Amino acid sequence: MAEQSAEIGFKKDTVSKLLSCFFKEEKTKLSGDAALLMAEMLKIFVQEAAVRSQKQAESEDCDQVDIEHFEKILPQLLLDF
Amino acid sequence: MKMSVDKDETLQRLKAAVHYTVGRLCQKTGEDHRREFSRQVVAAIAETTFRQCDIFAKDLEAFARHAKRSTVTAEDVKLAARRSTALSIYIQNKSEELNQEQKDLKKKNTGKRKSRETEEESRE
Repeated sequence: MAEQSAEIGFKKDTVSKLLSCFFKEEKTKLSGDAALLMAEMLKIFVQEAAVRSQKQAESEDCDQVDIEHFEKILPQLLLDF
Repeated sequence: MKMSVDKDETLQRLKAAVHYTVGRLCQKTGEDHRREFSRQVVAAIAETTFRQCDIFAKDLEAFARHAKRSTVTAEDVKLAARRSTALSIYIQNKSEELNQEQKDLKKKNTGKRKSRETEEESRE
């Protein structure tokens, strides 16, 4: 069970389909390695968003992380990725 | 017409999948810091992640095409992670880890090469 919670993340298939949907040309494909790396990258993106929002909420002494906290960290988050 | 409807449905399903994973990751972060994430913030992070995917996909496609390939490879992903040094290093390490795993798998399958690869490892 502990192992399962340590491995929260995006599935390779999900990432692969998601990216393929956004490609402009139909012939563009995604290698298996690239899909796994992108899954990792998206996980980091979400974790960064969550941790930074959480820190913002902490600095404002709020118990709940709300959208206003995310709004404040969003510009820098997007500049970092 | 039918194709665009199908594609739309696929996108909605993918969006739901992203939302689910974002929810779980937020919950995990919240548990670690004893804070709860509101439903709206989870939805906002999910939406942002989804749109970021669009940007990543277009970048990766352009990188691959620039290298005269039609398949996006790990090299393109490394290039997509260039803006932050820490992220770039992390992705490069992950990529090496993946390569190593594949090597190990091959080693299991072909026992003949075993002695040569352990020699290489000891040199490293």
